Amino acid sequence: MNRIRQWLSKINVETIKIELMNTAYGERTTLMAKLDPRVAIIWYLLFAILPWLFWNNTILIGMLLYMIILTALSRISPLILFLLCFGLVTEAGYVIFVALFFGGDLTAAAALLTFTMKLTIISLASIVIFTNMDPERFSDALLRFKVPETFCFGISYGYRMLPILIDEYQNIFHSFRLRGRFPEKKGILAWRYIYHFCVTAVKAFYPMILNTAKRTRTTVEALEVKGFTYGMHNPEAKELKLSYLKTTKKDVLFLGITGVVLIAIIYTGTLYPIERTIHQL
Amino acid sequence: MKPSPIIELEHVNFSYPSSVKRVLQDVSLTVNRGDFLAVIGGNGSGKTTLCKTFNGLIPHYYNGALEGAVRINGEATEDTNTALLSKTVGYVYQDFESQLVRPRVLDEVRFAPLNYGWPDYKERGDEALDMLGLNPIKNEFIWQLSGGQKHLTALASVLSLQPEVIIVDEPVAQLDPVHARDIYHTLQYLNREHGITIIVIEHHTEFIAEFAQSAVLMDAGTVKWKKPVADAMRSIKDLQHHNILPPPVTRLAEAAGAEESDVPITLEEGANWFSSRVPAASPRHIAPVPPGASEKTKIASFDRVTQGYKTVQKTFKWVFEELSLSFYEGERIALVGGNGAGKSSLLKMLTGILRPRKGNITAAGQPVARTSPEKIAEQVTYIYQNPEEMFIADNIRADIEYFLKARKSPEAAAYADELCRLFSLEDLQDKDGRLLSGGQQRRASLAIGLGTQPSLLLLDEPTSSLDINSREEVARLLHELKEHVKTVVIATHDMDLVAEWASRVIVLNEGTVEYDGGPRGLFSRHELMRRCSLHPPQIVRLSEKLGIQPSALDIQEFLPFVKGGGPRYEPYPAVAFENQR
Repeated sequence: MNRIRQWLSKINVETIKIELMNTAYGERTTLMAKLDPRVAIIWYLLFAILPWLFWNNTILIGMLLYMIILTALSRISPLILFLLCFGLVTEAGYVIFVALFFGGDLTAAAALLTFTMKLTIISLASIVIFTNMDPERFSDALLRFKVPETFCFGISYGYRMLPILIDEYQNIFHSFRLRGRFPEKKGILAWRYIYHFCVTAVKAFYPMILNTAKRTRTTVEALEVKGFTYGMHNPEAKELKLSYLKTTKKDVLFLGITGVVLIAIIYTGTLYPIERTIHQL
Repeated sequence: MKPSPIIELEHVNFSYPSSVKRVLQDVSLTVNRGDFLAVIGGNGSGKTTLCKTFNGLIPHYYNGALEGAVRINGEATEDTNTALLSKTVGYVYQDFESQLVRPRVLDEVRFAPLNYGWPDYKERGDEALDMLGLNPIKNEFIWQLSGGQKHLTALASVLSLQPEVIIVDEPVAQLDPVHARDIYHTLQYLNREHGITIIVIEHHTEFIAEFAQSAVLMDAGTVKWKKPVADAMRSIKDLQHHNILPPPVTRLAEAAGAEESDVPITLEEGANWFSSRVPAASPRHIAPVPPGASEKTKIASFDRVTQGYKTVQKTFKWVFEELSLSFYEGERIALVGGNGAGKSSLLKMLTGILRPRKGNITAAGQPVARTSPEKIAEQVTYIYQNPEEMFIADNIRADIEYFLKARKSPEAAAYADELCRLFSLEDLQDKDGRLLSGGQQRRASLAIGLGTQPSLLLLDEPTSSLDINSREEVARLLHELKEHVKTVVIATHDMDLVAEWASRVIVLNEGTVEYDGGPRGLFSRHELMRRCSLHPPQIVRLSEKLGIQPSALDIQEFLPFVKGGGPRYEPYPAVAFENQR
C-alpha cells in the first residue's frame, strides 16, 4: 500500500506537464519522426479507419501486433502507456463485471473483446503519431492539406501555451485552496474530500479562462505587428514556410511496407479467420 | 550630421471609439533618426497610445478618431498599413510573454521575416540572435526561459525585421535589477552600433538619466516638452508635479541645496558633485545590536529541508539541499536572490501547497506536512506575484470576503469594509480584479491576503511591474502592515525596498543561504551581491564611491554627511535602527 502511495505521489501536475511537453516536442530519432508529416497523417488515417471495417479477429490481432511493435520502437513515455493500460484494464474489468452481474457469462465479455481490440489499435496509432510528430510539423502538414491558416496556427500556438496554462491553472487552484475551507469530516470513502477537490478543480477553470482572454489581446496585436495576417494572404510566404516539407524515398518505402504488411495481415486473416458467431437475439 | 526626422506628428488628436475623451490632444512631436528617446508621464497620460500611432496600430488596428498627420520616414501612416509599417517600426510590449507566439527561440525570431515571405528569413533570424548574443539558447523552448531571456527573445524577434525604430514599453518592469541593466546596455548597443532609433516608455529615471539622449514628458494626452535628457532630469519640480521621481542622486543633491541647473543626474556626476562637498569620512563603527536582547518567538522554521524539480531533459534540479532557517515574530524579512534562486519555492513551502522532498517545516506552530493548506492558511497567507491569479470571485469585495465567508464568520462583511477602507478600494470593490490597473490590482491582492487574518504574511514580488507612484504606495502600505500581522516575508528584486523596509535580509543563491542579517551589511559585500545577481541602490553606491562606511541606505541617512557638522561621524540615531533585529 505504501509503495503504491509513494508511486502515486509521483503523479502530480508537474510530472504530467513535463511528460506531455516531452511527448510533444522531445527530440526524436525514431524512423516515424523523420517521415514527412503528411505521410504520417495518411498512415494514421489508415489505422484510424481500417479497424472499423473488419470483424475478423485474426486481422485485428495482426494489426494489433503490428501496432505494438511500432509502439515499442517509438519509445513512448511510461506515463502515457500507463494511462492507456489503465483505461483498457478498467474498461475490460467493467465489461466483465457487468456481464457477470446481469447473469451473462464470459462469452459476452469475449464478444466485447473485439471491440476493445479495435479501440486499442486506434489508441496506439494515436499515441505513436502524437509522440513522433511535433505540433509544428503537424500544423504545417495540415496547412499543406489546405486546412485554413488560422486553424493550423491555432494548433501550434495552443501547444506553446499549454505549459503556461497548466502553471496558471495550478496557481489558481492553489488560490482556491489557500482561501477555501477543507471539509472537516471525510465521509464514506472520503467522498467529501473528493467532492471538494472536484468542485475546486472545475471552479479554477473560470479565472484561468478570463486571464487568458485578457492576455490574448496583446498576442493578437503582436501577430498583427509581426505580419501574420499579411503572410496569410501572401502565397509566397506560405510556399516558403512549407518548402521544407518534402516526400523522400524513405516516405515511399514506409508507405510501401505498411501496404505490404496490411495486405499480408488481411490475406492471412481471410485464410484462417477467427470469427465470433453472432448470437441471434 | 544634420538630424533628420524619422517620426513626425503634427497636431494629432485621438480618441478611442465609444469615448469622447481625447487620449491624445494636439500632439506635435519630431523624433530624429538615431535618437534614444524616453517617454515619461504618469499613469494614463497617453504614453502607450502615443507610441501606438508610430507603427500604425492606430489608426489601422484601433478604429478611433485620428486627426492630424503622423509621418514615418515622410510617409503618412494613414496611407499604408500596420504590416508594412512594422518593417520600419518594431514594438516590444510590456507584457512581452504574450508577444512570443512560437515554441522555440529560433522559430520565434524567424516568424516575422517568414510572414513577409523573405527568402533569407533564416539569415535574418540568425542575425538578430547574433546581435543579442542569444545563440546559446536558440534551441530552447520559450516556456523554459527566464524572464530576462524572454525579453531578449521578444526584442530579437522585432530586430529580425531590421527596423529603423524600436519602441520598448517599460523594459525593466518585469525584470530583476541586473537583467534590467543588461537590457538597457543592449538597447544602447543597438542605438550606437547599429544606428537604430530607440524609444522607451519608462518610469525609472535612473535608467533614463544613464542611457537616454532625450525625454518627452506627457500629461493628459499632451506633450508638455521634449528636452535633452540632462535638462529633462533637472526639471525636478516639473517631474515631481507629474508624479515622476527624479534619479536618487538628483533628489539628494536638490535636498542638499543644489541649484536646479547644476544638479547631477547620474551616479558618476553625483560622485563628482559630492566629492567636494562631503569630507572624506573615516570608517565608523555601529554599535552592534546585541543578539537576543529581547525574547524571540519563533513563527516558522525549516529543518534540513530538501526540495527540487524535474526538468524536461529528465534531469533533477535541486533547489534546496538541507536548508535550515527560522523566522521570528516581529521581523520584516526580505528574501532576495537572482531568478531561480528558490525564493518563491521557499514561500510556497510554508503554505503547504508545495511539499518538500525531505525535512520538516513548521508554520505558526503547525507541522506543515501533516496539515492541509486550507488549515495552514488560517495563519499563513501567500500573496502571488501575479495578482490576477488571486482573483477567483466575481469582484474584489467577494474576493476579500471569500476566506471568512467560507468559514461562515459573522464579521466577514465588517472586516471587508475595514480592508477596503485601509487599501482605498471602496470605489473599486464591485469591479472584477482583472479590469483594474497594475497598482490597483496590487492593492487589491494585499487586501485579499489580509482578508484571511494571518499572523505570517508572505509576499512574492509586491513591487514588480509597478510605476513609481504605485510602488511608493505599496511600500507605504507594507510599513502599515505591522499592526495587522506578526511577521512579513517578502521575496523581492527591489533593493530600494530592501533598504527602506527590511529588518532582516536573507540572500538565497543556488539553494543555500548566502547571507542572513541587516540590509546595511549586505550592501557592503560587493562580491557577494554580484555573485547573487543583486545590484545595490544608487545612494548606497554613491556612499561607497565617496568612502562613506557603512553606506547610507537612503537620502535621509545621506544628508547629514553633506551639511557638515556634528552628526557626520556619529553612529546612526536609534530611530534608524527601529528596523534592526
